[in-house]
This record gives sequence, C-alpha cells and structure tokens, in this order.
Amino acid sequence: MPDVQAQVNDFVVKLQKRKIEGSKATAKLTAELLRSVISQQRIPHGSNQAGVIIEAVRGVGEQLIRANPVELAVGNIVRRVLHIIREEDLSLTTATIGGLSVSAASDDEDELERGDHPALSAAAVAAASRSTLRPPSLQTLLEDVPHSAAVPHTYSSGGDSEGKSKSTDKNSRTRKLKHNIIETVNELIQDINTCHEQIAEQAVEHIHQNEVILTLGSSTTVIEFLCAAKEKKRSFRVFVAEGAPRYQGHILAKELVARGLQTTIITDSAVFAMISRVNMVIVGAHAVMANGSVIAPVGLNMVALAAQRHAVPFVVLAGIHKLCPLYPHNPEVLLNELKSPSELLDFGEFSDCMDFGTGSGSPLLHVVNPAFDYVPPKLVSLFITDTGGHNPSYMYRLIADYYSADDLVIQRRPSS
Amino acid sequence: MWWRSASFILDKPDKDDAVSSPESRLITSPPLSMADTLQNPNPNNISAYYQTRAAHHGVVTSDWLAQAQAAAEKEEVTSESSLDSGKAFSVIDEFNNWRKQPDLAEAVAAIRALAKVISSSEATTMMELEIELKTASDSLKAWDTTSISLTAGCDLFMRYVTRTSALEYEDFNSAKSRLLERAEKFGEISYKARRIIAMLSQDFIVDGCTILVHGFSRVVLEVLKAAAESRKLFRVFCTEGRPDRTGLRLSNELAKLDVPVKLLLDSAVAYSMDEIDMVFVGADGVVESGGIINMMGTYQIALVAKSMNKPVYVAAESYKFARLYPLDQKDMVPALRPIDFGVPIPSKVEVETSARDYTPPQYLTLLFTDLGVLTPSVVSDELIQLYL
Repeated sequence: MPDVQAQVNDFVVKLQKRKIEGSKATAKLTAELLRSVISQQRIPHGSNQAGVIIEAVRGVGEQLIRANPVELAVGNIVRRVLHIIREEDLSLTTATIGGLSVSAASDDEDELERGDHPALSAAAVAAASRSTLRPPSLQTLLEDVPHSAAVPHTYSSGGDSEGKSKSTDKNSRTRKLKHNIIETVNELIQDINTCHEQIAEQAVEHIHQNEVILTLGSSTTVIEFLCAAKEKKRSFRVFVAEGAPRYQGHILAKELVARGLQTTIITDSAVFAMISRVNMVIVGAHAVMANGSVIAPVGLNMVALAAQRHAVPFVVLAGIHKLCPLYPHNPEVLLNELKSPSELLDFGEFSDCMDFGTGSGSPLLHVVNPAFDYVPPKLVSLFITDTGGHNPSYMYRLIADYYSADDLVIQRRPSS
Repeated sequence: MWWRSASFILDKPDKDDAVSSPESRLITSPPLSMADTLQNPNPNNISAYYQTRAAHHGVVTSDWLAQAQAAAEKEEVTSESSLDSGKAFSVIDEFNNWRKQPDLAEAVAAIRALAKVISSSEATTMMELEIELKTASDSLKAWDTTSISLTAGCDLFMRYVTRTSALEYEDFNSAKSRLLERAEKFGEISYKARRIIAMLSQDFIVDGCTILVHGFSRVVLEVLKAAAESRKLFRVFCTEGRPDRTGLRLSNELAKLDVPVKLLLDSAVAYSMDEIDMVFVGADGVVESGGIINMMGTYQIALVAKSMNKPVYVAAESYKFARLYPLDQKDMVPALRPIDFGVPIPSKVEVETSARDYTPPQYLTLLFTDLGVLTPSVVSDELIQLYL
C-alpha cells in the first residue's frame, strides 16, 4: 500500500498548511482518500474483516484529524465512513443469516460467526442489529446481546449439511463487503457534491415575496439558496455585511448582482442598525455541533445576537457533512483558529510596533484575528440541511443516524 | 382580572389534635386516615428517602432519630404481614440491607432486592414469576412513595421482565437464569455509571474554573474526584445546604482531595454568581420534560445561573429517568423532612418542609449520563424509546 500512504501524507501536509479551503472541499477530498484506502486494503480471509478495514480507516483518520483539528469536516467524514463500514458489515451478516435457504452463504456464515461470537440465533441477531448501531440508550442497557448464554440450536442443522469449498465463498463475502462499502462511500461523495442543490430546493418555502434577507460574508450554499428562490420568481432584497477582514461579502454581492438580485452592502458594525429592517437572516456554517450550536465565520455571533434582540429568524444552512457529533466544551479556544495579522494590518506601517526585539521581548501591539465564532443553540431558529429543516434541539437525532457511538473518539489505543 | 384567593387560610390543616407540645415542634403532621396508615408505613409522612440520605450524611438529632427508628420498626412489621405468609423472604428486608450501604444508590439496591426475589422464587412459569416480581416491586414502591429513583428503578426492571426478548427462551429455567444474570449486571451498573459520567464530564472542567455545587451527590463527587486526580486546577463553591448540611459534608470530602473549597450560605449564591463559571448538580430524578427533581434550592440556583448566563450541568445515571411530567412545583408526591431551627418555633407558625424542587429543562444546559452527554430534549426521546 505504499502509494496510498504517499497520498495520505500528501493530504496531511495540505491540511497542515491549510491549503484546502472550505469544509465541502475538505470533506470531498477526505472521502475520496478514505475510499482509496479501503479499496487498496488487503483483507485477510476469515472473521472480522470489517474490523480490519475499520482499523485501517481509523489509523488514517487519526493522522488526518491531528493535522487539522479545527477543520471538523475531516473528523465528520472519517466517522461517517466508519459508521458505513459497520452498517454494511451488519446488513451483510443479517442478510446472509436471514436467507438460510442460500446454503453456501449460510455455511460460510456459520464458519465465520463461530469464530467470532457464539452462533447467534435469528432472534438474537435481530436484537443485535437493533441495538449495535444505536447509540447507548436505556433499551440497550437492558437488551444486551447474550455472550455466554446464547443458544446455538438453529445453526447446527443448517450448517452441517453443506461441505462445499469454503474458500471461494469467503472470497465472495470479502469482495461483497468491500464492494458495498465502496458503493456507499461513493453515495456519500455524491451527497456531498449535491448538498447545495438539495438545500436550495427548500429555498422557495422560506423566502417570500418582497422580503429582506441579511447575510454576512460569502457562502456557496447561501448563493445557491438565494438564486434558487430567484429562479422561482420571488423578488426580494439582500443586505450583505462585508465580513471583515476578508471582505468576502464583496464577492457575494458581485455574484448576486450578476444573477439579478437587488443587493445592499453594509459594514459589520452596521448590522445592529439595519437589523430591524430585515425579515430573515440566512447564513452558512463552518460546522454544526451536537448540541445544536454553530461554528460560523467570525462576526456571525454578533449577527445572531442582533437577530435575537429584534426577533428576526436566524436560519443556518448546513450540509450533513458539517454535522459534528462532539459537544463543544470550550469552543472559543479549542475550535477556533487565529489567522495571520497581515489581513488586518499592513505590516510595512506597523512593523515597529510589532517588534519582538525590543526590551522585554514582547511587543506592545498584539493582533488577534480569529477565524470562527461560536453561536450558542438558543440563538438559532432553524437549521436547513439536505434532509430538511430542523430545530437545533433535533440535531442529536441526525447524529444518531449518521454516526456510531464507538467512533466518537478517534484516538489510537497505545499499543503495548 | 385574576387574583390569588387567600385559600391558605382555609387549607390549613386542623392542627390542634396533632400537636404534641406547643412550645417546640420539629415536624408538621397532617392527620391521616386509617387506610393511609396501612398503606404508608411512615405515618409522619417523612420521606424515607431523605431519611436515608440524612443518615448517610450523619446529621441527625436524637429525637428525630428515635422517630425514624420507630417508623422503620413499624414498617417492617407492616410489610411482613402484607406479603404471603408462606414466604420467609421479605423483599423489604433485603432492600433495607442493601440500602444501608452509603455508596449504593437506592434504585440499585431495589434491583438487587428484586433479583433476590427471582432467585428465591419457587415459581415454575414465567407468568407466576412475573406476578411475584410485580407484587414485590409494588411493595417496594409503596414503602416510600416519595423516592423517584426507587420507582424509576423498579419500573425499569419490571419493564425488562415483561419485554418479549426475555420470553424468547422456551425453557423456563434458562429464562430465569438469564433474568438473574441481567439483574446482577444491572446491580454492577451503579458504580460503573458514575465512572462513565466522571469521564464524560472531564472535558468540561477546565483549568482555572470555579464550580458551584449544591447538595451532596455521589456522582458529582466522583466527577470532582476524577478532575482532581488528573491534576486540574479548579475551585469549588459549596452551598451550605440547609437543613441537611450537605455543604459541610461535601467540603469535608473535597478538602481531603486538596481542592480549594469555599462554603456559601444558600442565600449567597446570587452574590457569588459572578465569579462562578458553571453549576454542577446531581439529580434525584430526571423527568420526561428533561427537567430534574433535586434537593430544595436547585431551582433557585438554576434561575440565578440562567439569568447570568452560566451553564448548569446535571450529572445523573440513566436509571433515574422517570415517567413523570410535573407541571409546577407542587405537582409531585410531597416529600417532607423535618427542619431543626435550633430555637423553638411558636405553634402558629408554619414551616415549609418540602425536601425537593423541580427545575424545568430550559434552565439546564447539559445532562451527563452513562448514556452520554445529552441535552434536555433528548431525555424524552430516550424515555419514549424505552417505553414504546
């Protein structure tokens, strides 16, 4: 697998140097990289094939997350892929056990399952499929899959009668697992690509005639959203806050005008002054956390507070790849990045103030340029994702659908 | 135009015959009918749950202790007579044995007692066993109607017994042994649950933070112990916790761990809330709305914290999730406990002796449970999934 390792190293370097902009691009590249890792992973015959793939993905995932811990999309995609592997493995297991008439497969299953767990009765497997991939709940506390007290009756009759060549069957199962996983990962990549369209489809339900929308900075999702509403013949105006210090609001304004929308540019400081004239605030997000809070480009916390103060709905557009299963415990520090001060100040003029060589070694002028803001869940009115519109308090349900509880901490256990 | 009627004048119970001595009084005792006395083995309406907790804290006045003992003896007599005469085994006895251990949660003691019921049962069919368990569970619940975790624990266990997965085994003996094994495992969960909760909450305790703690919760103590062991620098403010003096006990424990502790009067919480970074409380029960029922004073602290934008974290094991939905403070089974003011109170003066209050979910930030970190809105989801 040397070429995969080279690809991984390459990607790690890119992440460390922050060469990749935007969570969508990062998510897509991560998914493609993991796909090649999986397809090139040689899987030994026998039991626990899924375990081998999981370990490989975890190893790569850990490297990627460490390279850029602030880019949450990387961790999200790694966890999605792990969840996909577990799901595919489980559905393959239940499918083959369920179809006992397919004797070769069941024989094969028998061989495999006896190796790992004691042979599972059909009911117990059904229980397992219900409980394994759900996050821990009161139900799972009670409904543990029996380890020692399992009853292997149902198997002996089905398995013993077939004594065919097992190796080809195992091969087919291996190939089937890999094939299923790669197919699902392809679907994931497809979803990431088309998330904008799916979110934009819902635009016409939220933007009405003669409304005034406020946004800050620039986000592709927001552009697509607004233009989709424009296509459906809604006429509305957009206020764009420029989004210092990168001034991406200017780019957004130009884009909107090119598509025929009436636009007004305001400074960030003018948001509080203009918010009372606004019907709705629509913004994109960098990441959405498990408690329904948002990691958003800097300046959006202020907009959210202004919106709450004047009872204006604050709508966040986020693709599912931005949903992170972690709870933020110190987001202003741990999930934030300080970017270069040159975006704020011209180095030529201020170089004498920022001189580290003077007396105490610490300059009198410090420049802080955080990249992100933390918006608490109570300030967000609605999340619009590719699956529809949701309350902030509903986000934990989506997490349960897309992630497994075992994958929340991606840290390699120290090998002793 | 709405106005409050002065109904409390009419509602005041007829106290003349209940008062023993006019100059000093420790408890209010509303009159009970005969039926009540039989049902509730605790005639003075003192919450046995809070008796136990106070006993663990070691704060007992001598005549209160005498009353508690009288009540305990009375209830043992009552419960024995209420069970089948053929059974030498009394689930209440078993429960009491387990309950006396200070480290064991009440719900887990109940589960262990019910497990003993299964193992000592002479039933030959699942139906019989279920009926026996139901009777035992009901008598446990009736023993103290005020304890939420006891009721929740019993309900959870009964729910498990009646679920179809337990009945999949055609063989009764294997089903019985499986139930037993599960019950034993459930009993181990208490200590494990606290460890899991302690691990989950470690991230939220940062260096240099100030934590306000109310009430003596063993789970919260475990959380703080784990943080102290990982050498985090933090300090703790404890409320005094009148009248159980929980703060004194907790500050004692924390001082042993070398954690800087400051004791506050219960009324000094708003005054100190500026310096506080987060509030950490345990829970006697977590209700369906996502709110909690906890020692008296928790609601007050949550209100102050919310108004000053401080997060309120709750540490509770999952078996405390109860199928209750209180609509206001009085919408629960009253749990009263005596308050010693140190000086005699004139007989005309009433005392509010309720031991607990309800904190609605909008004042809570996160719940740390052994199921993971949850927001209050997840609680009802969990309960629905279980009882569906």
